[in-house]
Amino acid sequence: MAADGGQDLITLTTDKLSADGVSESVTCPSCGAVSLFIGTTRDHFEGKKVIRLEYEAYSPMAESELRKICREIRTKWPSVRHINIQHRLGVVPITEASVIIGISSPHRSDSLEAVKYCINTLKATVPIWKKEIYESGEPCWKENKECLWADTGKDPK
Amino acid sequence: MNTEVSVLYFAKSAELTGLKAENITVPSNISSLQLWQHLETRHPRLSVLRDQVVLAVCQEYVPLGEQLLTLRDGDEVAVIPPLSGG
Repeated sequence: MAADGGQDLITLTTDKLSADGVSESVTCPSCGAVSLFIGTTRDHFEGKKVIRLEYEAYSPMAESELRKICREIRTKWPSVRHINIQHRLGVVPITEASVIIGISSPHRSDSLEAVKYCINTLKATVPIWKKEIYESGEPCWKENKECLWADTGKDPK
Repeated sequence: MNTEVSVLYFAKSAELTGLKAENITVPSNISSLQLWQHLETRHPRLSVLRDQVVLAVCQEYVPLGEQLLTLRDGDEVAVIPPLSGG
């Protein structure tokens, strides 16, 4: 929780996410910058056609890890005003957003850097998993390279 | 002394065990690696995850290793395959 009324909004939902909604929720009169990141779902992986994605979460821990990220953001960039992180769960059709992060600050540098930090840290630490369902072949649980215990994390290249 | 803890399985680990959750009885002082080995004994198919998994004990990550846990009745342990949020 921030001083002077800055809010951390965290949502895990199966509903379709709204960039407008996130943007409006972090806008405030004292802030000259709102930075947004939208993670969308791609329709292919290594030549295979992805027909949909399914997300699963360890919800109570995902929320507490997201709150930790908000605290870290406020320590690193104290001018940050509002933070809104929304992650979709369940089935996410191709091209729809799976995650939206909105952060406001008086000047653009802090909110831009904070958004980048937020998505990078989310990928490394928040207990959420994505399964890609392909047009043909077995579905595949993905692994973020940012995750310290992923096999790809040990790849020396 | 033994305690009963609940174990939650997610993603690939839930598919391998066929379970989302179960209660198990283990020594209250046990290393994270010993706890994992106990789970592997119950569910041998989990062995494919052995090098790519951590546990979460009371919602804090614990890598598999010699770190001694102090478990209490009702504590929640989760099996955490590699993350893919975002």
